[in-house]
Amino acid sequence: MAVAFSEKTKERFKAILAKYPEKGAALLPAMWLAQKEFSVITPEVEEYVAKLLGVPLVRVHEVLTFYTMYAAKPLGKYHLQLCTNISCTLLGAEDILEHLKDKLQIGAGETTPDKKFTLSTVECLGYCGTAPVLQVNDDFHENLTTKKVDELLAKLK
Amino acid sequence: MPTLTIDDQQVTVDQGTTILEAAKKLGIAIPHFCYHPRLTKVDACRMCLVEVKDAPKLVTSCSNAVRDNMVVFTGTPKVEEARKSILEFILINHPLDCPICDKAGECTLQDYYFRYSSQPSRFKDNKVEKHKVVDLGAKMVLDSERCVVCGRCVRFCREVVGEENLGIFNRGDHSEIGTYPGKKIEHNYQGNLVDVCPVGALTAKDFRFKCRSWLLCKADTICPGCSNGCNAVVHFTLRSFNGIKGQRVFRLTPRENNDVNKIWLCDVGRWGYSFVDSIDRLTTPALKKGEDFVKGDWDTALRETASGLKTVVERYGPSAVGVIPSPHLTNEDLYALKCLFSCVLKVANIDFKLPGLDKGEGDKLLLKADRHPNTRGAELLGLSGTGLSAEAMMEKVKTGEIRALYLAGSDPVKYIGEKAEEALSRAELLIFQGTNFSASCKLAHVILPGATFVEKEGTFTNYQGRLQKINKALEPLGEALADWEIFTRLGKRLGAYPSYRCAEEVFKDMAREVAPFNGLSYQKIGPQGIKIADSSQ
Repeated sequence: MAVAFSEKTKERFKAILAKYPEKGAALLPAMWLAQKEFSVITPEVEEYVAKLLGVPLVRVHEVLTFYTMYAAKPLGKYHLQLCTNISCTLLGAEDILEHLKDKLQIGAGETTPDKKFTLSTVECLGYCGTAPVLQVNDDFHENLTTKKVDELLAKLK
Repeated sequence: MPTLTIDDQQVTVDQGTTILEAAKKLGIAIPHFCYHPRLTKVDACRMCLVEVKDAPKLVTSCSNAVRDNMVVFTGTPKVEEARKSILEFILINHPLDCPICDKAGECTLQDYYFRYSSQPSRFKDNKVEKHKVVDLGAKMVLDSERCVVCGRCVRFCREVVGEENLGIFNRGDHSEIGTYPGKKIEHNYQGNLVDVCPVGALTAKDFRFKCRSWLLCKADTICPGCSNGCNAVVHFTLRSFNGIKGQRVFRLTPRENNDVNKIWLCDVGRWGYSFVDSIDRLTTPALKKGEDFVKGDWDTALRETASGLKTVVERYGPSAVGVIPSPHLTNEDLYALKCLFSCVLKVANIDFKLPGLDKGEGDKLLLKADRHPNTRGAELLGLSGTGLSAEAMMEKVKTGEIRALYLAGSDPVKYIGEKAEEALSRAELLIFQGTNFSASCKLAHVILPGATFVEKEGTFTNYQGRLQKINKALEPLGEALADWEIFTRLGKRLGAYPSYRCAEEVFKDMAREVAPFNGLSYQKIGPQGIKIADSSQ
């Protein structure tokens, strides 16, 4: 098996395990750690996590496919998650989505050939007051207009 | 013990009983998908909702335990409305392909729809498309669009087989059952997944598109696959219009028996029935003429057999005769055989224990290493240890000391191999009585066609010493006869022999003469069997 946590991550994993009465309960945080470490949860990573926690492989796959925030496919350097829920849509998220598709020449759920951008449409991010909103990796960009999107994309290298 | 009222009827049940189970006791059926009596309760499907007096909302009857003085209603307008709504949700993405679905006719979703909903779909959008014809394992196929995601199959693998190899992937209306990508289910209990599936999502490859369920007749039987004696139901018909030529038996399904097989059946047993209608069935008596067999009638075949045996016994004494019966035969067959050879012909060389009879591969759940349904019965009837062992008989056949060998369903070549083949080819008189052509049958001088387990009445004694009954579902193929009947006909030609007209008459004699069977009758055995002896050692 090629994949393994770094020493630092192993420490964090141990700290997480200590919070739960049984190992299997730490499945979600362990998978999140794995995603941070390996950036994508490949079958090898699934197997690694399953072994670490002593849970059946199929259960790791259940969790991976249930939650949208785990990445089973490699993401671009910048993951653009555009909210298309009610508030954002009412304030123009559809236009922004079309604009992003045009600019990046990809559809929702796709990654640019240079692996720089992945575009996703997501449900409510909890920023209705400053809609429309786009999440770029861990940062939020609010009150978006197509102009602001252009400025933002120019900054992302 | 709490007493409660369900639909104006009072019932007292054990502490911890669920409302659904208490209702069942009163004969009130509450519809459900995810609940299964032998699996953990997950209250996922919401189909079993009932109204409980003073409860603020409807409750799931499958997971809520009864309380003393509880008042439950299972058919109020509120409950009916809930059922109708649940069914409408489930049917939104259902393909409604009942006309081509193998489950049609025995599908709970279909039954519940007609009983509790019967409304046309109001859904106007496109249905969610999912995977179809997914090859989940060697024995069954998944159609995700038909699935109601009750999770019974997932729990069966986890809880009963102890292998967690099925899961529910994705979520919401995209949820799908599946194995980990690239993996398949390999265990010996795949047929049960088809059984626990309440809809047509999991279908057996062996049964797919072969016969409509409503054309099938059913008869209680015992699986003949191994010495465990799992209670089963045989599904058969003579009018499957799908044109599977000559197929009469279509499947075996498990029958509940808590002491034997719970409610399960293994794949080896379930799909081991194909010999019943297979092309190598022996359907007419036959006699060897030179290298070939010529079809004969019963009269000729029995005359040849009787005169052959008589000659050998008269000239060389009963020790020149050997009999190897098979523990595939019923107690009645074996008792009739014993009467004929031991009482009438005074033959002592009777032994069913061919070496390696119990050397199959068993597992922890149901399947036993001994792949014969009546080994314990043969032991109790004393069909071993009275004379030479089966192996020694083969040696004596080879040296010519045993001149006539009678194989009643047994196939020494299968177990002993070449050595047996050599010995059998030297026998002066070799009689093979059985259901299918085999390597030993090939060497016989006379072939007497016997009936299979679905073509005769009788009893098997399983490894635990439990006596269980099989029933005649079909007439024997061609001219085949039940084995006890062959011995009866043969007995008449050889001396004083009872003229048995049915298996039950043989059983009555056996119940009188053989200690473990004393005082028993078919009625006393009942559908669940009766323990008559200890397990075999």
